[in-house]
Amino acid sequence: MNKKEDNEKGGVKGWIDGDETAHYTLRRISALRSTLLVPPLHRVPLRLGNVIEIFGPSPSAKTQILIQVAINCVLPKEWNGVRYGGFDHSVLFLDLDCRFDISRLSQMLTHRIMEGNAIGDCDKTLYDLCMQRFLYARCSNSFEFLQTLKSLHYRLKREKDHGVSVQLLLIDSIGAFHWVDRASMFLSLKEHNRKKLFLQSVSEAVVQDIKKLLQVHPMLVIATKSVIFGNTYSTASEEVNGCSRNVTRSPQHTQYREYMPSVWQSFVTHRILLRRSDDQPVISNSENSSWYVLEWLLPRIGLPDKIIVKDNGVFVDS
Amino acid sequence: MAPLKSMEKEYPLIDSHFQSFCASHAIFSLEDFLLYDLHSLIASADNHSSSITFKQGIDQLLSVIDTQLPPLMNGLQLLEDAECNKRLLPTGFKGIDALLGGGLRAGQLTELVGPSSSGKTQACLTSASTVAKNGGSVIYFDTGNSFSPQHIAHLVGQTSGYVIGNQAEPGPLQKVMERIICYSVFDIYQMFDVLQQLKINLKSKIVEPDRRVQLLIVDSISSLITPILGGSGPQGHALMISAGYLLKKLADEHNIAVLVTNHMVAGEGGTSKPALGESWKSVPHIRLLLSREYGSNVCNVSTLKHPSVASDRAAKCVLCICDC
Repeated sequence: MNKKEDNEKGGVKGWIDGDETAHYTLRRISALRSTLLVPPLHRVPLRLGNVIEIFGPSPSAKTQILIQVAINCVLPKEWNGVRYGGFDHSVLFLDLDCRFDISRLSQMLTHRIMEGNAIGDCDKTLYDLCMQRFLYARCSNSFEFLQTLKSLHYRLKREKDHGVSVQLLLIDSIGAFHWVDRASMFLSLKEHNRKKLFLQSVSEAVVQDIKKLLQVHPMLVIATKSVIFGNTYSTASEEVNGCSRNVTRSPQHTQYREYMPSVWQSFVTHRILLRRSDDQPVISNSENSSWYVLEWLLPRIGLPDKIIVKDNGVFVDS
Repeated sequence: MAPLKSMEKEYPLIDSHFQSFCASHAIFSLEDFLLYDLHSLIASADNHSSSITFKQGIDQLLSVIDTQLPPLMNGLQLLEDAECNKRLLPTGFKGIDALLGGGLRAGQLTELVGPSSSGKTQACLTSASTVAKNGGSVIYFDTGNSFSPQHIAHLVGQTSGYVIGNQAEPGPLQKVMERIICYSVFDIYQMFDVLQQLKINLKSKIVEPDRRVQLLIVDSISSLITPILGGSGPQGHALMISAGYLLKKLADEHNIAVLVTNHMVAGEGGTSKPALGESWKSVPHIRLLLSREYGSNVCNVSTLKHPSVASDRAAKCVLCICDC
């Protein structure tokens, strides 16, 4: 009787005491999925499994930021005594725009390696190692994109067997096939067994495939999205209100119309807006640099960052 | 993409039993299979009696998908391909060559934007003559009857001293002119037709190295696309984006430089902006803006978009005044 009471007491007490302390839980989880600070997006700590969407009107430095993040990922933490501070993992770049220029990646990587080196020359073995860690695939329509995603699981598994694990998935740009998919709607409506709109089906399939991929290969996903609809709305409202009120044209409140289906919008965990800086400082023709403004919309941080794109990389101007 | 029925011969695992299982999920072709959720299909296969053969059929389809795709390339392979195949083509138009560090790059789509009579057609004709002189073939899509063989002969003759020989034996000028093939296209469907034919020709024929197509010019692509862009449906934009992908695919697979021209329309606040809207902006690799002061023959070229050159870098050059 006493033993039973003791057991019961142990049971209730055990339930109140809990399985582990919050401190222990935090330590356990951060060992599994540590936070990453990825420059130039280092304002917000990120974690593998996050999906970040960078959008902005063309030309903004979206692809440049992807290349900078890729370089930070492929570089090792330390090499020959020089601290590069990279993540030492592979990167997969899905080029849906078919516009990627490998020479720009090579240029930025060479500059970065030369900066770290005391002598100032480029270490060929390190350069080759980093370039081999950059994996590339290109798709020119939605079906090729889906094919790539479906076969990616086996391809990444093969790469993993070679000792190479991919930690970063870059997609440029996610809305590339939007118009073509929307027009395909009219073809599929003829057949009665297609209940859903084509654009909707494609987006759902894409999100499903990426989710399943992330379960097996945890990665950070960064996708760029270009603006499709111009700002006709903002100028029209200005003309109407111009006489009665002083409408100050504040660039940070320019609304860009969202065109991705809601299944993608709810999949995205972080959102960044990138646009050209209104006040460009006086640039001499010899200096090859441009200024952009980066604003975190999700999570909302009120202070935008100034980004400068130079020959040797993309940096946050502080 | 092929319907599942046609794959039965080559892959015996995709038999009629498997096809009827797929049909119960409304999967009739490889495209339907791509759109369907793979895990729910596998789960449904588990519930059937012949689950093992169904799963083998699914694996077979996945391996077919895998074989249809090119393998993943790494950075070194891409760089090697860029250095060997994607060469720079000098255009002979000094402003463009100065900004682009040598010339047009094979495998890339370059767009020239500018108001009318700012030198776009001049730039196209100059590029065609320079590339033809250096030994490559040029394909010229002329949408506005602006192609002038006399002007090209003048440009070629100016820089290399060729003269038109007699009819009996073709002189060097004739050989250069023979390398430029001009098509008059007046709507976008005609352009698609010619491009598809070109794709088939390039894939099948083995051309001698000195007759290889190196440059493709569309002057102007905006006059083909603007008539179809209006309206509320997405077809116009879809055709524009598809044309862009077709040109880029041709450029990449056959190492051709593509040059297109675009005109300007009125923008907000009285300024001009390039035509074809926001969606077109993400199609070309490089966008250059041309302008010319009224009455002068100096053409200003500046970058609108380039992978490694900052925007608004400018260069000047003198246009060739020709009486022909």
